[in-house]
This record gives sequence, C-alpha cells and structure tokens, in this order.
Amino acid sequence: MSVDFLHPGETVAVDKSVPALEMRGIGKRFPGVVALDNVDLTLEPGKIHALMGENGAGKSTLIKIMAGVYGKDAGTISLRGREADIKSPRDSLKEGIKVVFQEIALIAEFSVAENIFLEGYPTGKGGSIDWKKIRADAAALFKRIGFNVDPAARTGSLPVSQQQMVEIARALAHEARVVVMDEPTSSLTPNEVSLLFTVIRRLAALGIAVLYVSHKLDEVFEIADTVTVLRDGRHVSTRPIGQHTNDTLIQDMIGRRIENLFPRKRGAPGSKVALSVEGLSTAKKLKDVSFEAHAGEVLGFFGLMGAGRTELAKAIVGYDPITSGAISVDGCRLLPHETHTGVRLGIGLLTEDRKSEGLMGELPVYQNASLASLGAFARMGFVDKVSERKAVQDYVDRFRIRTPSLFQQVKNLSGGNQQKVLISRWLMRGLKVIVVDEPTRGIDVGAKSEIFALIDRLAGEGLAVVMMTSEMPELLGLADRIAVMCEGRLTAIMPRDEATQENILNAAIG
Amino acid sequence: MDMSELTQSSAPRRFIGGQLLGSSQLVLGVILAVLCMAISIAAPQFYSEANIIAILRQCALVLIVASGMTMLIITAEVDLSVGASLAFVGCIGMAVLNSTHSLTLGLLAALAFAGAVGLFNGLVVTRLKVNSLIATIGTMMMLQGGVYLFTREAVQNHHRLASFTVLGAGYLGAIPLPVVVAALIFALAAATLRFTTLGRYLYAVGANERAVRLSGVRSQRLKLFAFVVTGLCVGVAGMILSSLMNAGQPTAGRGFELTVIAAVILGGTSLLGGRGSLLGTLLGVLVLKVIDNGIIILGWNQDLQMVVPGIVIILATYLDIVRNRANVG
Repeated sequence: MSVDFLHPGETVAVDKSVPALEMRGIGKRFPGVVALDNVDLTLEPGKIHALMGENGAGKSTLIKIMAGVYGKDAGTISLRGREADIKSPRDSLKEGIKVVFQEIALIAEFSVAENIFLEGYPTGKGGSIDWKKIRADAAALFKRIGFNVDPAARTGSLPVSQQQMVEIARALAHEARVVVMDEPTSSLTPNEVSLLFTVIRRLAALGIAVLYVSHKLDEVFEIADTVTVLRDGRHVSTRPIGQHTNDTLIQDMIGRRIENLFPRKRGAPGSKVALSVEGLSTAKKLKDVSFEAHAGEVLGFFGLMGAGRTELAKAIVGYDPITSGAISVDGCRLLPHETHTGVRLGIGLLTEDRKSEGLMGELPVYQNASLASLGAFARMGFVDKVSERKAVQDYVDRFRIRTPSLFQQVKNLSGGNQQKVLISRWLMRGLKVIVVDEPTRGIDVGAKSEIFALIDRLAGEGLAVVMMTSEMPELLGLADRIAVMCEGRLTAIMPRDEATQENILNAAIG
Repeated sequence: MDMSELTQSSAPRRFIGGQLLGSSQLVLGVILAVLCMAISIAAPQFYSEANIIAILRQCALVLIVASGMTMLIITAEVDLSVGASLAFVGCIGMAVLNSTHSLTLGLLAALAFAGAVGLFNGLVVTRLKVNSLIATIGTMMMLQGGVYLFTREAVQNHHRLASFTVLGAGYLGAIPLPVVVAALIFALAAATLRFTTLGRYLYAVGANERAVRLSGVRSQRLKLFAFVVTGLCVGVAGMILSSLMNAGQPTAGRGFELTVIAAVILGGTSLLGGRGSLLGTLLGVLVLKVIDNGIIILGWNQDLQMVVPGIVIILATYLDIVRNRANVG
C-alpha cells in the first residue's frame, strides 16, 4: 500500500466539479418493510454533508449500502462520475469509501499502527512485516489529520474518541475519498467533540467528502455545509444548512411541527422533602454528596462524562453499594441498602441503559410494564392476568404507547415507546421519588417531547423527580433546580432562574 | 440500530412470545409423531400397553428432575451435578432406611441431602458469583468422589420395607407410581411457571436480572429457590431410582444430567434464560425416551442410545434457529 501522498503540506488534487459520490434512486426492502425508497444523495468533495432522520428513517440502511454491508435493490452508486458496483465491504473500501461506524470495528488487542494497516501491512525483505515502517507511516497519518495517537498503543486501551481517530487514519491510509461518520459523538465529552470537529474539517480541507450522520441538531448546525433529511425511508429534503432553522429541521425529520419542546403544565413544587441524601460516598466515585429533593420538583443533575451522575443515581436507589452516608425517602432511612428496600420506600430508577438494565427484551410489553407491581395483581400467589392486562392497557392508552398489542415483545418497540413502558412500570408501582438517568438517550426528537411532557406530569402528580442529564437544553427546559457534579462531588446547586449555561459549565469543570 | 428499524415497522406481523414457544413445541410434536409412526411400522409391538407403560416409566425419573431443571434454566442458570447427586441420594436414603426402618425418615434424609446440594449450588452461584456451569461441575466432582468416601459398593436393601418397594414398582390403578409422582411434580411446576407471580419472576430474572433487581425484587433468592427446587426433585428421583434397583448404587446416574438438560433444551427452553416452558420439556423427555425405546425394540445396537439423541438435539436446535430466522426475515 502506498502512503506517498502523506507528506505534510502536500495538497490533494481533487476535481471539485465531479461529485465524490452520487447515489440515485436507491431502494432497499427487507421482508415486509421498505427500508429505502428512491433515495438520492450527492456528496461533494471537500464538503461536510449531514444525514439526518429519526430512528427508522433509513440512515443506517443507506450507509450500510455505501459500506457494502447490504446490497441495494434499486438505484445506482457513482464515484467520481463512474458507476461502481459495490458488493462487499471490500469493494466499498476499494472504491474509496470509509465508514466509521458507531460501534468501532478495530481489533482491541492489536496496536494502533497494526489496525491502521490491517488490510495490507507494508512488507520488507522476504515478506516479513516492516514494523518500523508501519509505525512511521501511522505517525505520518496522524500528523496529517492533526491529531496524535501513539501508534504503538494497544487499541483497546484507548478511549472511544481516540479509536475514532484511528479509524479516520485508516481512511487516509486507504486513500478514501468519502468518509462516513455514523453518530460519532454519542459517547464523547464536549472537549472530544470539538477535537473531532477539527479533524473532520481537516478531512474536508484535504478534499474528502464527509458524510456526517447524526440526529443532534446543534452539531449539524455547527459542522455541516449541507443537510439531507430522510424520513420513513424516503428523501425529504437536501438544503444548505444556512436555509435551515431548528424548527425547519425538526419539521423535516418528524413531518410535523413541535410547538413547544418543554411544555410546562405543573405548578410550583411543594416544600415537603421527599428525598434526602446526606454525605453519600461510594468506593469508586462519589464523595460526600448531600442534597434534598422536594415533592413535585424536578431536580436536574448536570455533569460532564465521568462526573458521577449515573453512579449517584444507582447509589441512591440502593442498587450500588455505598461506603458512607444516609438516604431517606419521606423520612425513612434506606436500610438495608438494597433496591427492594428502596422500592418499598418509594424510590426507583429509570435507567439510562434500557437494554441491559431496564427491558426484558424477549418478554411481552405487559410483563415488562407490570414487573415492579406484580404483587398488586396477585391473589394467593397467582397472577390475576385480567386485571394486570387491564392496568397495563390503561397506561398504554394514557401514554399513547405505540405497540401492536400488549403481547408484543418489548424489544420490537421504538426507543421512545420502550421508555414509556419503563415509566409505566414505575407508575404502576407508585413511587414518591423517581430517579431518571438520561431519560431521552436514544430517543427520537418527536418522542423526546412526549417524554418531557411525561416527566412534567410526574412532578405535577407530586413525585420528586431527580433527573440526571448531559443535555443542557433538557436541563434548562425541565428542571426547577439544578445541581452540578464534577468528579464525584456536588459543586453547585441553584434555582433554575439563577442558572445560566455559563455558571453551570463552570461548576461542571470544578 | 438497523435491526430496530426493521422490527419496528414490521412489528405487527412478528410472532409474540407465546406463539413462538407454541410453534417450537409444534416442531417437537411433529418429530415425536413421526418417530412413533416410524417405530410402530417397523415394530408393531411399540403400541402395546406394556411398552407404553415402559416408556412412561422410563420418562418418569427424567421428567421429575427436568421439571426443576426447566425452572432453573429459565432463570439462566444450570445444574450439572444432578446425576452425581442422584446416585448419592440413593445411597444415603438406603442407608438411613437400613438404620431407621422408617420410610418417612429415609425420604426426608434424601430430600434434605438433595435440597442441601441445591442450596450449596445456589449459594456458590449467587453469593460467590461463580458461573453455574463451573460451580456445578465442581459440585458434581465433589459428589462423585464423595459418594465413594461414603460407600465403596452398593448399599443393599436390608430393611425389606414393602412401602419402599411400592415407591418404584407400585401402581395407582394401571399407572406406575413413579409416573404418577412425575405427573404431579410436572403439573405443580407447570402451574407455578404459568400462573403464579413466582413463575413470572423466574422468567423475568432469566430475561434480565438487573432489571428485576432494579424493580425491587430479590433476584438472588429466586435463583436460590430454583436451585433448591431442582435439588429436591433430584431427592425424589433418587429415592425412586434406588427403589427400582433395590439398592443405593454409587455408580447410578452417570450421564443423567445430560439427558435431563438435553430434554429441557430440546423442549425449547433457552440456556440464555427467560424463555421456555414445561410442556416443551415434557415433549423433549418423550422424544428422547421414545428414541431409547425404539432402539431397544428394533434390536439396534444399544450404544446408539447415546448417539441418536445427540444427533436429534443438534438437529432440533438447528431447526429452531432456522425457524426463528424465518420469523425475523
């Protein structure tokens, strides 16, 4: 493999008049579903093109067709004006397309340099691998994208942000002309995001066409030149970013207008202390955290990655052990420190990780909803299925949970509807305090506003809501009071009307 | 993400849990029917009353233990020590009978021992967090060695209790007593799994233990319960076996755990937990035992009794995968 083009300062000769990639009339059906219907996409060299849409819009299918993971049923793909036949990931790479998937496909046990040249190690005399050259070439690639990763480091030991850089370096090693970034920021800190953006802009400056797949509006406004929106497998719009506002983008994505993302219907919070936490510490993270949450209040916790929000959430419901401190719900101590005590006292966690801590994916919707309150439907140990299903149906109707039936396996529901099932689980049980951890993670824009409305309603019904979030708009839009964490400590707690993005971020940095 | 794109929109035509199990049992039912027909064509005596009773008697021991094992596997754990425990239970039960001449005390000793083995397995798995496959292999080895420390040869029947003989050889009407016991245990376990909160929690723990814990349910106790129930089932089966053999045999039960687990898995219960049913287990036991019986009455080489079920398990599991794939599309 030649890496001669890598000398610093060298510019890449790219014919900017010919699109780097042109997809025309792409169609893809899976049994029973039309995943893509007549979708067009044109990527210009040196431009950053955002691809947006809700879950199920077809973004993933489209990029998987580009990557050769799926074959297409209809349409054509042209690269630099020449029609290409992409049948496998190998073809795609050969045509100069590099897709950096959300789940990074590097070999964790290999060094960074080995991963970069995985498809073709430079060989020396007698076919032996030229390790010196691999390392040097890798270092040169990183210089090129303006980000340094130690080529000798074991890939698995690096944070996701640096693994992405390794993937991008691989793209350069393959002389990619099109680089696709699939939801690249979902596990990055703000600092890492801005570094990534610098690198992405550098790729564009090298004449590479970048396709940036995301559903985060603010990111797209920051980085994209052009935006294409898909909905239900169809192309909705392609416009320069300058022609869009937040509202028009959301409207394109969900097909309707959202008047107010944070409708507030509840009254002022009460003064009754529902949850009191004193001097809470855990072995790994939390240091002396104390706060109170009132009935009818949304208390928002903000913090950067690793600040300890999830750790706090799991500790105060009794899931993770604590080393010191006292937790009381309505004046009753959470002792022994176990979830069954917590649930009995009326505190429960709506987890950030629905799949591994919330849902029983294989089981039907109604069993997922009634899990915490099954005892209430029992007569002499037997489940009264009729009243159970009636109760669940009630929540399905009230929260407009979209499911074909109560017997549908919950894994088949969309993220937003799954979240509503899990909220129902707690409401059926009846709580005094609900801890919600990243309540809108993995949830579409359209469904987000419904979740916000539900949280507002929970507080309106007198629950104390403790909300952990890394989303500033969510925090400012929903919380009555805002607590900020940094490295396991509580650094600030302020009423909403005294909070500004600036003083929140200052407290989050410590 | 792409899977979710698919399944969401195609949701209405997807199978629901109950039907999924149902159709897995359908496959098994068809296999069973085909087997019965094929064997009876080659050997018409297959349908004789004596042979059917023989098959049911053969099924009884496996079904008793498989009833507990189904619960355990539904919670995503497994117990490989049941075969070794079965032999040990027989020896201990017989020894206690010999010294006390009381069937009640003998039975209680057997149940206590087998229940304690289950409790031990459960504690090692839930408290020490040792993977149940490994933990129960450990227990299996301890029991296999331990039984020889207890007795080097078979514990003979010196008490001559008639009621003890009835346990294995007796009849209730035309039905052998072990079959009646198996049917009762089966029905109890099936009703528990299907209709009670306990049963629902067992499925839930297998489907997602963390979710169950977060919901305020003591997931470890549920697993402990399933281990102990499995142990108690071994206690019952062990006593019946020693009655049938009229001795406590330290070598009995070799490979028994594999037959039991094979029947459960064949019945569509997922080793990953959260999915399965006792009806499936019943069909699984029947299929394995009909194959056994067929090999005998057709006069084939008896070593095939291990070979053929092995093939059937791989085939049935593969068919299940094919069928699931067809459902997902």
